[in-house]
Amino acid sequence: MQARRILAAMALLSGLITGVMAPGQTGKASPPTGTGPLTVLSWGGAYERAQQQALFAPFTAATGIPVAVERYDGGLAALRRAVAERDVPWDVLDMTRSEAMAACDAGLLEPLPDDLAAPAPDGTPARRDFIDGAFGDCSLTHSVFATVVAYRTDAFPGRRPTEIADLFDQRRFPGPRALQRTPSVNLEWALLSYGVPREELYRLLSTRRGLSLAFARLAGIEDLRWWEAGSTPVELLLDGEVTMASGYNGRFFDAMVNRDAPIAILWDGQVQEHEVWAMPRHARHAEAARRFIRFATASERQAVLTRFIPYGPSRRSAMEGVTTHAGSGIDMRLHLPTHPLNAAGAVTKDEAWYARTRERIGELFRATFGDADHTP
Amino acid sequence: MDHPRPSAYTFNMTRADTGKVEGRGARGVLRFLGLVALGGVTGGLAALLAVGFVGAVVWLNDLLLVSPRGRMMFAHPEWLAVATVLVPMLGGLIVGQLHRAIPEGRPHTPADAIAAVQTRRGRLPPRAGVLSALSGLVSLGAGASVGQYGPLVHMGASLGSAGARLLRLGRSEDNITIACGVAAAIATAFNAPLAGIVFAHEVVLRHYALRAFAPVAAAALVGHVIAAEVLDRGALFHVVELAIPRPWEFAVFLAIGGLGALVAGGYMHAILGVARLARRLPVAAPLRPALAGALLGVTALWVPDILGMGQETLRFATIAGAFGGAELALVMALKLAATALCLGMGFGGGVFSPALVIGTLFGALCGTLVGLAGGAQDTFVFYAICGMVAVTAPVIGAPLTSLLIVFELTGSYALTTAALASVTLASPIAAQLFGRSLFDIQLVARGLDLSSGRGRAVLEDARLGDLLSQEGVTLRPETTVAEAIHTLGQAGHGEAYRVDADGRYRGSLTLADLEVMREQDRGDAPIADCPATPRPVLGPEASVWVAMRQLQEMTGEAIAVVDEDDTFHGVVYESSIARAFLRYSDELRKEEHGAG
Repeated sequence: MQARRILAAMALLSGLITGVMAPGQTGKASPPTGTGPLTVLSWGGAYERAQQQALFAPFTAATGIPVAVERYDGGLAALRRAVAERDVPWDVLDMTRSEAMAACDAGLLEPLPDDLAAPAPDGTPARRDFIDGAFGDCSLTHSVFATVVAYRTDAFPGRRPTEIADLFDQRRFPGPRALQRTPSVNLEWALLSYGVPREELYRLLSTRRGLSLAFARLAGIEDLRWWEAGSTPVELLLDGEVTMASGYNGRFFDAMVNRDAPIAILWDGQVQEHEVWAMPRHARHAEAARRFIRFATASERQAVLTRFIPYGPSRRSAMEGVTTHAGSGIDMRLHLPTHPLNAAGAVTKDEAWYARTRERIGELFRATFGDADHTP
Repeated sequence: MDHPRPSAYTFNMTRADTGKVEGRGARGVLRFLGLVALGGVTGGLAALLAVGFVGAVVWLNDLLLVSPRGRMMFAHPEWLAVATVLVPMLGGLIVGQLHRAIPEGRPHTPADAIAAVQTRRGRLPPRAGVLSALSGLVSLGAGASVGQYGPLVHMGASLGSAGARLLRLGRSEDNITIACGVAAAIATAFNAPLAGIVFAHEVVLRHYALRAFAPVAAAALVGHVIAAEVLDRGALFHVVELAIPRPWEFAVFLAIGGLGALVAGGYMHAILGVARLARRLPVAAPLRPALAGALLGVTALWVPDILGMGQETLRFATIAGAFGGAELALVMALKLAATALCLGMGFGGGVFSPALVIGTLFGALCGTLVGLAGGAQDTFVFYAICGMVAVTAPVIGAPLTSLLIVFELTGSYALTTAALASVTLASPIAAQLFGRSLFDIQLVARGLDLSSGRGRAVLEDARLGDLLSQEGVTLRPETTVAEAIHTLGQAGHGEAYRVDADGRYRGSLTLADLEVMREQDRGDAPIADCPATPRPVLGPEASVWVAMRQLQEMTGEAIAVVDEDDTFHGVVYESSIARAFLRYSDELRKEEHGAG
């Protein structure tokens, strides 16, 4: 996930640069013309391979419409340019909800019809089947990924951490910690550790008192390592340099399944973010795009996707259809952020709050914990 | 069927009361079911209004940079400071103008609803209801340190009363629909249906009748369902895991109750005291809220906790270590002062939410002190909740409601029993020292004393009006004694009233007094010379209650009704006072025993 972010950031940058420096140079590769395939913009790698098997190929089989995949190559800048020139090479976009919100506000996305998502197999209307916040004006959440805490299973003989407050309890759960060098997620966990309810988290973080309590909690951690690349926490745990680390649930899953890492995930306090489908303005195959989104968000397809990658389906009915990992045969239910067993203590990141406060909170964070450059 | 159903039970009572044994049963049941349905509809509408009101307050708070979230998401500190002072001030200006359009020049509150029900007057004025709701909305939206439950309760009550009037129902039904609106508002706002039902009985109806219970329960239930479906909002307080308090801690909870009663008294008298002071200020009444708003804003630059309803402050107060001890005392004192300032100077809004915050801070202070004395901190939240209940229950005069709110919102039996320990002392002590509730104290100041129950309230509210009779014998002072005796004999009365040419009352005379004069051979003397029998008189605005009291002091046929200028208006016969007393008592008995 971190790689995806860096990719997106680089793409954004390059988009900005090309947008500013070479305004004449428009979209490089025009997609195949004519009736043409449906072009989906996605993130590449293992994620795209999973989508290929669970979504794209079955869609083509069901409708006869071929699917072409392009790597996310624009952030909002490329999308903005493409929409402005009415030459949009993509039909469907796979993006984070916060980006979709910004794009929708900027008028770059097509509003989605209310009845786009199919009802659940048992007839439950989509509005009630999807998780809260899944329906945006221009986007529909298809899966959920999470930032979680993982710990070494051999670090605390006789006990296991069960709640996020245990991250800060180095008396009962001794050992160094690794956290991402960002205020987000860490502040949430720090305040949660005082026992505040999740529903009030961002309201309370908005007060001076809440922020200072959260910072005090973070500053109280002994032997704290800050990480920046998404692969670091896994390595730190594997090398035994820390006993608990934050990280993305997909990364930890990969280490557990493919590398037999002796780690487990503490799901309490997991901070969830939404991954959505959206349609750009002036898409060439709008009708096919809507068909695809309806197809890909059907309960059955969402359940099949979880056989390849541990992202939580956005539908409750899809969760019931979750089975095993296609490669290893392990039970996937225990590895999905949205599974009821894991989601009991989940926090949904308040993207609107971060959009308006990121700079000020970031400053405060840097003032307290220093810049990356100053750390050994 | 072994047991009669509740409706059948009520219906039987109806028959017993009217003395009719058979027949008309189905109609009685239908009438009753109709009332229950009306209760449900009233509850639904009141709940939707409450949801809209709460949503609008949250929206305004975010928009106007009152809520911490709104303030945090606003990036310009200098403009934030300007808004912190300007928003409550301008809000106060608007509120002041709104109040000019209300006849009493002040927003209506739950006290008005209580008075309407306790005196069986009913018929809450819709115009004042709408304006008061607007005033509450603007006050809360602009960040005044006031509560939202008062406006919600009064809004529900006004809505219920309007429904009864629309359907041309009687006073008794009017009272029930008022209670329905109140119950639904509380059930919705707290998402606590039992608390809503009990609040309507404990605070507004103040009696228990099955006939009122069923519609009120229906209203609360509908409110609860709507709250659960529509209002996707966290509860007022969530309590996650709890330690169990040690036995000795219950003694501390009791003590918190006793001290909390004093805090509640201080809070109530601060509000009333500021209101008294405000009347002496050389500032026009419509401008006073703006002045209070400006003062509040300036103080909030330093301590933002006092702005608005203070839900964040409430939450932090339940967390051990979130405040230092001195800080708790400071914020508590400032919040109390800010609320007294806002309400006393004329902002619209309730007293409950600030009392929740003040009480929780007080409880947290007690918990912190116990912690300093060596007690454990794992039961900190118990102290906070005990303080909260100890202060709020006396202020709204509702110990049971406060307990139920704790129970329904936390689902914790341990917490509820701790709160019970605290409220056991708090409510009686406060009632002895200050009064049953702030509402009751305010009503006494307006001339309605509810401390002796509803029977007295109804009689105090009932005016002599139609009991006034012109049949009494009036005589000019210059009339001779002989003539007077003759006139009285002709009229068949034993008493006469001297009234001069200007229509002024000049005392009462009995036939016996006149006979004594005649015995003394003074039959030709004017009756002006006759010594008057000392008799009480009643003012034209006197209540049936006062008339009843006067009757105990005298023997005679009737009491003269005389206004401040001694102008004679007529008389009220003893028998008609007794009849009125019986009639009002009978109506009350019917209403309170299920057969009104």
